[in-house]
Amino acid sequence: MRVVVAEDIMLTREGIVRLLRDAGVEVVAEAEDGEALLREVRQAQPDVAVVDIKMPPTHTDEGLVAARAIRADHPEIGVLVLSQYIEPSYAMRLIQDHPERVGYLLKERVFDIAIVVDALRRIVDGETVIDPTIVARLLSRRRRDDPLAGLTDREREVLGLVAEGMSNRAIAARLFVTERTVEAHVTQILLKLGLAESPDQHRRVLAVLTFLRA
Amino acid sequence: MASTNTGITLVDTRAGGCHNHGVPRVLASWVRPARLAAAPLGLAVAVGALLIAAGPGMFTTYAGRSGLAAGLMVTAGLALVLAGLLASLTSQAGPAGDLAVLAGIVWFAPVWVGWEVGPPLVRSIGMLAAGFVFPLLFYLVLAFPGGRLPAMGTRALAWAVYLEAALAALGLALFRDPYLDPACWANCTDNVFLVRSLPALARAVTAADRWFTVAAATTLLAVCAWRLLARRGRARVVLVPIVLPAMVFAAATGAHAIALSRIPLEDPGNPAFQLIFDVQNAAVILLAAGLAMDAVMTVVHRRGVARIVANLGEAPAPGSLESALARALGDPDLRVAYWLPDVQSYVDAQGRPVAEPAAAPGRLVTALMQQDRRIAMVSHAATLPELEREFGAAIRLGLENERLQAEILFQLSEVRASRARIVQAGDAERRRLERNLHDGAQQRILALSYDIRLAHASAEADADDRTRLFLEQALADVQAGLGDLRELAHGIYPAILTEAGLGPALATLADSASIPVELHDTVQRRYPEVIETAAYLMVAEAIEDAAGRGAGYAAVTVAHRDGRLTVTVEDDGQGRSASMTEIADRVGALGGIVTIEPTWMGVEIPCG
Repeated sequence: MRVVVAEDIMLTREGIVRLLRDAGVEVVAEAEDGEALLREVRQAQPDVAVVDIKMPPTHTDEGLVAARAIRADHPEIGVLVLSQYIEPSYAMRLIQDHPERVGYLLKERVFDIAIVVDALRRIVDGETVIDPTIVARLLSRRRRDDPLAGLTDREREVLGLVAEGMSNRAIAARLFVTERTVEAHVTQILLKLGLAESPDQHRRVLAVLTFLRA
Repeated sequence: MASTNTGITLVDTRAGGCHNHGVPRVLASWVRPARLAAAPLGLAVAVGALLIAAGPGMFTTYAGRSGLAAGLMVTAGLALVLAGLLASLTSQAGPAGDLAVLAGIVWFAPVWVGWEVGPPLVRSIGMLAAGFVFPLLFYLVLAFPGGRLPAMGTRALAWAVYLEAALAALGLALFRDPYLDPACWANCTDNVFLVRSLPALARAVTAADRWFTVAAATTLLAVCAWRLLARRGRARVVLVPIVLPAMVFAAATGAHAIALSRIPLEDPGNPAFQLIFDVQNAAVILLAAGLAMDAVMTVVHRRGVARIVANLGEAPAPGSLESALARALGDPDLRVAYWLPDVQSYVDAQGRPVAEPAAAPGRLVTALMQQDRRIAMVSHAATLPELEREFGAAIRLGLENERLQAEILFQLSEVRASRARIVQAGDAERRRLERNLHDGAQQRILALSYDIRLAHASAEADADDRTRLFLEQALADVQAGLGDLRELAHGIYPAILTEAGLGPALATLADSASIPVELHDTVQRRYPEVIETAAYLMVAEAIEDAAGRGAGYAAVTVAHRDGRLTVTVEDDGQGRSASMTEIADRVGALGGIVTIEPTWMGVEIPCG
């Protein structure tokens, strides 16, 4: 797998690159800001761009802006945004326009490199990746008249995996059940939560995240 | 400068600053009787002129040609006398009224010249005097409004016109023998002042006088037109009744001089000359009417100013003195600027800093002093030139009172601005800390964790289980540290607040709150950072407080109403006892209001 890494802080960038290389990922180019990233992506045509959310010049949301540009210009190239913020609103912004082939992971995931490699693979496969920490926080959010209280433990588990962006097939593989079983769970969950079933598995991520935040 | 018995000294600082010009404050003892005598004198001169026109001057004067011409002339002259008397009685500013009276009397001089059977001295004096009508009216118009010539240039101009009229009169009186003048008109026999007959010189003086008159009339036209164009609003409106007739008069006077240079023998029967005569008289009547109207308006304004204090009420709102003055003077552009000696600058009645009032065309700036201390500057149209004199003790007290009020309001706004700056500086420091944690400490620990991870991988490869387990523990510790660091940074300042605004920041707050938080956010717009921070911290503290009081939930509403950001937090906990002073201070620094009830808290922050 070929990736471009964009991160303005050298120490962090070197660490990410070494860990990715150790895990057998081919890092074809490195960039220090959004502009350089877009240039490298154009030249190297990687499978995925691994992008820091904060980069020069404003150190706010350059990563999200670059991600949108890459997804708009190169539909076949995925983007994995690395962030130090547990901010659902950033993740939701990322998947708003182009929900497929994008991911939002916390930076410290990188030292569990297997998770990163798995996320990169899922992105290449066209899936969406949302950091489990964000999903866990949304699931554990305290609510009055909690609509999640009506879900079984298994349904909650499936809902979490859906929110993380997993496809039914991936959920089935994770939970050692058949895809049909997962489909049944999802239908049941959406029914209980009063959400419309979306034929598009990418769109349902945003719908579920929005529901969990409301 | 004049001291009054109220102890307030008033100084007049007007455009051009001509303090020493015009009639002094204390009128000379002869002025009043002279003015009183002017009315009967004017009347006598007018009646005499009528008699001459009807008799001996029937063919040699315009007034003798028809009843209409006689009526026009008498009306014009007497109107000037009356308007002048009115002006000098109502306003003591400048010699304008007296000039008009004089011009009105002199207006009849050309008729007296035609008194063929009269004493030669009278006719000769009439010859001398007739040339001064134009200089008198020239001065009068240039000095309007206010009765004083506004600038060095116009003053020089007016005196040049006087001087030329005097020289021409003198030259003709001493050296022109009417008997030898082929172009003589009403008086072809008498000149008692004749010293030596020099016909060539007399002709040259006559010709020079005509061309000078043309030039002066053109100048008057141009100055009048320029003034009308240069002034705006009230300052222009007050000019019209004087300046428009003056322009017609100047045009007719110029036309008269040009006509004389073409037809040296002035025949009152000539229709062209008759027309010029009629137009001149009509213009002078209108000019006199304008002067009279101005005098009446002066009285109206003066009464209005005198009534201001009675109409203000007991506790006038800041600025009501200014608007009352503006109403009384019919000048919506009138401004009062109060002087704050401590900060050496001017403020309006609300305490907002304003520029030092400056005089503009048609506008005066009057300074009000108290025992050599400046109170205020009033910028007003020149309709009531001696404005400071109209201020009674009560209105001066009102001005001083409003100045004190303005000073307090100014200081209040300074304190408020200072509070806001302190809060902003604190916020900026929080943001800086948060960034430093993210970009400094957190990045280093991340890099460290990557190194540990690589070491862990190599220990794994070497099958060094002891080191591997040791590094796994280190990784877990680092991960926990990173989590703590992130929470700490977020607590110091939530980056999402700067980057995405109040709505997303409150949503994140609700995600991790220890009690259920319902957000009713109808505001998607951004606000100045200091306002967003105040609103965010208020909600954060209110939720924490609610959780501490055992609340089962908190409901947050955010709304934008009437230029104010309104945030409320309601909960179902026990009643609060904490005073929430930090929130009150922070919101107060932004000019906002905090309302605290046992289980409800609301802030309103003005945000434009």
